[in-house]
Amino acid sequence: MTGDAPADQIIKCVIWDIDNTLLNGVYLESAGEPPPADPELAGVLHELAGRGILQALASRNPPEAAAYVRSVTGADFAAAECGWGSKAEAIARIAADLDVQADAIAFVDDDMVERAEVAAALADVLVLTPEDAAEAADWPQFSPVVVTAEARRRGQLYAERRRRQEAAQAFGGSRDEFLRQVGTRIIIGPARAGDLPRLHELSVRTHQLNSSGQPVTEGELARLIGSARHQVATLRLADDFGDDGLVGAAILARNGTGVATAQLLMMSCRALGRGALDALLAWLCRVAARAGAVQLAVPCVVTDRNVPMRLALAAAGLRAEPGSVAADGRAVFTRSLAGGLPHLPDWVNVEASQ
Amino acid sequence: MTGDQARGVEAELREVLAEVTGRPDLRGVPAETPLFGGGVGLDSLAGTLLLRQVQRRFGVDVAAEDLNLDSLESLSTLAAFIKERLSGDIR
Repeated sequence: MTGDAPADQIIKCVIWDIDNTLLNGVYLESAGEPPPADPELAGVLHELAGRGILQALASRNPPEAAAYVRSVTGADFAAAECGWGSKAEAIARIAADLDVQADAIAFVDDDMVERAEVAAALADVLVLTPEDAAEAADWPQFSPVVVTAEARRRGQLYAERRRRQEAAQAFGGSRDEFLRQVGTRIIIGPARAGDLPRLHELSVRTHQLNSSGQPVTEGELARLIGSARHQVATLRLADDFGDDGLVGAAILARNGTGVATAQLLMMSCRALGRGALDALLAWLCRVAARAGAVQLAVPCVVTDRNVPMRLALAAAGLRAEPGSVAADGRAVFTRSLAGGLPHLPDWVNVEASQ
Repeated sequence: MTGDQARGVEAELREVLAEVTGRPDLRGVPAETPLFGGGVGLDSLAGTLLLRQVQRRFGVDVAAEDLNLDSLESLSTLAAFIKERLSGDIR
């Protein structure tokens, strides 16, 4: 791989997952009528199809699911692979079937693990979340005629990510060694007014690495930034492959009780596997301890989507009372701030707060 | 479950760990080495891939059954967690 300029990549085929992607729910889990189509993605699908881009399905479902998606979206699919095998193999069959090269294929799936497996097996495929796909019609790969600076930048981020993933696969050493090798830089600093739109966007779009599962409005964020009882910290991430900008944040409540509570932790999935959430947690422990707290608490909603968040909490030494998940789906994960705190790598820079 | 099957769980976990981390050297990691932190340095991404493989290969949904993911302390604790669930199923 030479890391071609992303603007050169032209998508000729979009392959969609069905459950929680093209459908607003899970096909087989519905008791009566299966769930309806996601109107936003169905709109994107029709827009792209109108530009001559092929549409296809790859799903862990019985074949009837494809017929159902056809009927609720009104779309013609050039190919449909429904079964229980690997998504990467399904995509390879569709590529062969339609005679499309892997680097002209985009794959959309809500499941991070499916995306990771396809990205690992087929490095040239453009792998997207449904949230990404909702914007895809504006990207140069899908619309070579319309090329805005913003769209060009997004495409570039994906190319950078692909090169990073390839380098990670080839590296073979520990994760920390890899992060150091590729010049990972993390800056944690106070949120500013100019960050509000991005912070709101992150609160809406992050799921796998989001503790509260609740969107926060720009107004509420502005109030928290101005509050003496709260600290809103942002995390910016870059490495030698590129600059991802603001990818995460934490909202820390200082209530003077000896317990510092992180009301919200959120991180873009772009930062997965890059030590960003671990760094944020290690920093929170230090900030809370310096302010005199003896315990860090993170109320976290427990779902099957944010398992990556729970893994980061466990790795940072936070634990919840077993069986303590409340009716609202939340458990409070805590750790003592006495003694050794989680490792904060030396590539993490902390900006002084105002 | 027989003794051979029990030993097989740990061997298979080593294989999965090497795959999801991209580190063949982890096939030789001692069973008691901590998975988080300095030992193996398992992160959110590799941890999620590991749990998915455990579910796929052994039918055990660790994330659903272990709120704190304490079973991920080491290969040994994870193998014990899986073996306990498997032997429970057989009865």
